[in-house]
Amino acid sequence: MKHLPRLVGAALVASLGLFAPVARAATPPDTLIQAWAIDDIISLDPAEVFEFTASELLGNAYQGLIGYDVKDVSDIFGVIAEKWDISADGMTYTFTIREGMKFASGNPITASDAVFSLRRAVKLDKSPAFILTQFGFTADNVDAMIRQTGPMTFEYQVDKPYAPTLVLYCLTSTVGFIVDEKLAMEHEANGDFGYDWLKTNYAGSGAFTIREWRANEVVVLERNDNYSGPAPEMARVIYRHIPEPATQRLLLEQGDIDIARNVSADSIDALAANSDLAVDSGVKGSIYYLGLNQKNPILAIPEVRQAMKYLVDYATIADTIMKGRVVVHEAFLPLGFLGALEDNPFALNVEKAKELLTAAGYPNGFKVTMDTRNTDEITAIGTAIQQTFALAGIELELIPGDGGQTLTKYRARNHDIYIGRWGPDYQDPHTNADTFARNPDNSDDAASKPLAWRNAWDIPEMTAMADAAVLEADAGKRAQMYLDLQAEHQQTSPFVIMFQEIEVMARRANVQGFVVGPSFNDNSFKAVTK
Amino acid sequence: MSTREWLLTEQPASRRQARAGQAYRTWIAFRQNRLAMFGLGIVLVLVLVALLAPWLAPQDPIVGGSLRTERLLPPSWQHLMGTDDQARDILSRIIYGSRITLLVVALVAVIATPIGLLVGTTAGYYGGWVDTVLMRITDIFLAFPRLILALAFVAALGPGIENAIIAIAITSWPPYARLARAETLTIRAADHIDAIRLQGAHSARIIWGHVVPLCLSSVIVRVTLDMAGIILTAAGLGFLGLGAQPPQPEWGAMIAGGRRFILDHWWVATMPGLAIFVVSLGFNFLGDGLRDVLDPKARK
Repeated sequence: MKHLPRLVGAALVASLGLFAPVARAATPPDTLIQAWAIDDIISLDPAEVFEFTASELLGNAYQGLIGYDVKDVSDIFGVIAEKWDISADGMTYTFTIREGMKFASGNPITASDAVFSLRRAVKLDKSPAFILTQFGFTADNVDAMIRQTGPMTFEYQVDKPYAPTLVLYCLTSTVGFIVDEKLAMEHEANGDFGYDWLKTNYAGSGAFTIREWRANEVVVLERNDNYSGPAPEMARVIYRHIPEPATQRLLLEQGDIDIARNVSADSIDALAANSDLAVDSGVKGSIYYLGLNQKNPILAIPEVRQAMKYLVDYATIADTIMKGRVVVHEAFLPLGFLGALEDNPFALNVEKAKELLTAAGYPNGFKVTMDTRNTDEITAIGTAIQQTFALAGIELELIPGDGGQTLTKYRARNHDIYIGRWGPDYQDPHTNADTFARNPDNSDDAASKPLAWRNAWDIPEMTAMADAAVLEADAGKRAQMYLDLQAEHQQTSPFVIMFQEIEVMARRANVQGFVVGPSFNDNSFKAVTK
Repeated sequence: MSTREWLLTEQPASRRQARAGQAYRTWIAFRQNRLAMFGLGIVLVLVLVALLAPWLAPQDPIVGGSLRTERLLPPSWQHLMGTDDQARDILSRIIYGSRITLLVVALVAVIATPIGLLVGTTAGYYGGWVDTVLMRITDIFLAFPRLILALAFVAALGPGIENAIIAIAITSWPPYARLARAETLTIRAADHIDAIRLQGAHSARIIWGHVVPLCLSSVIVRVTLDMAGIILTAAGLGFLGLGAQPPQPEWGAMIAGGRRFILDHWWVATMPGLAIFVVSLGFNFLGDGLRDVLDPKARK
């Protein structure tokens, strides 16, 4: 056993290493590493992306015709478009493309790319296509409605004189992002406009290029040297798929990552107390609500709906279970939107609720079920609501399921109560009015199925009000129309609107410049420095 | 004559006395195994706690206190195990949770043991194609990891404690069938079975009256040893959101709920974890002890 002393020595050295103070791992200075649950990504194609994570990726990797200031969304400016003119009848928008811009591939950006991208989104007709097709575009007419008029100009013709902000905001969403026509068409197969290829590849002009996406593992972005704006300081941005907030927190504390994106409400205080770390937050447009299915005869009684609005302890939930993650908000337009109603008339009031239930003929309450997505937060909110409902004798049974299960049941209108989270699709108030306050056809086989339809709420008059607001060109008058709509909606609707989401992220203290915007494609790491 | 002498007599006067004497001797042997007694103690405490839950629990297990003041409190005299994120007393929840755990264990034992015994003894006694068919079905069930198969059943049946019990029962009978078959193969050729057969007893009667009782002791040992596994499977299903549903105080679901707070509020996940640990340990000790006294081959 000649080697024994050496082996013992090696073991000793190894164990010393184990117990020595751990050297702090640091991420490379030109690389930003984020931990986030990125399992919602199903595609990287702007015509298809409708998920939180992928929206954020595209927001940093693609550019739209126009954009808005994330601090004040009413400030709309051109990005790829230099300017735009609206015809006197309000139906034709003429866009002029900025000169001298390039895609990451080196191809110049022209009007042809813009026309291609918008037509492509309409023709592919994926989930977010309605944002464009609501203006009357179809696969058959889009070639005539969106037409190139010069090398750097094109016309965009809608079917009604909509409020201009609505049309413009819709073009700021990911579905309106401009795709490199040449590059996409090189990879076309069977007339799919390069859809199969673009699902996992990149053809944009944003500050970063998407180099690689490995599902449920990692997304790697690299600096785009052809970017027209100021060059980002980070050469690389990496998203690691780490679903557990606790794991993210440990990695962040050790310095293995720069930003933890999933921060649970109860760890915000502990993270903020750590001087190596900082917590950032930004108000998001997402809204938490309960949908009461009007097919249930009890829930269809107006007094019962009203009673339920008095049986949620909004303030306590926002201050405890969801502390730092939500603010109380009881109208369907989130704060920051044109015409958002800021009144919160409801608070927990068991006496009032009991009176209403007595008037409805259920003085001793009733039994009802709630489909609850089995995420921690939704379950915790659901459990808290279960307890306050019980105070008025309403026995609430929670039926947990994964997102797919609960949503399928909700979409088929088979639920009693659904606890949901709704994110606006674009920055115009119509996005939420369209779903919360419009139900053009309440029959089971309706073509469009907004949230009002999912809860079988038949509202011809309110639908007409919402439709009228879309055509009002004057912003002040339009805001008033939405305020009136929300005030009525708040009192009569089968929606118990509870909270508006706050997005929270924790970062290493040296990481600066991450912008948390109102929608996910506004979250920007272009200006991040370390 | 004292009861003890009556039980331990070398010449029992009746069958009843002989059986009682045998049971008493087993008990004496069992009693000498300290760990087994410890396990038995834990299991008895579990049963008592489950029975007396409404009187033992200091607070309501489902309705919490004030979210603003009583949420996530550390263990104290007021709340011996602290409170969870809905301001509920964790001790009360664990006490009520013992009912769910006991229910799962008892129902799974009641459902799975007879199935396993029936399949195993039938296959072993008849042999031939009956044996082949039954044992291949058993093999199919054994080919899947138990939790995965239970997950599949729950996914098909829908989440809930009843379905979790059914799923666990469906997945836990095959080992009993194997065991019962092996025992039956040795018993089948025994002289006393031949004697009964010569007297004209029907096969069903032989299996039920003479084979099953002889297999029973080893199956009971096996079931007891499996209890810990059953508890863990139930807790695993609860952890994944497929077992008991909120607000039911199921231990596995409680751990899942406490996972979010594990770094800042350790007690929320730790307390139900300890409960699972202690009860599983208890069943394991008990099973070990039972094996020592009931399995003649292992007797020293």
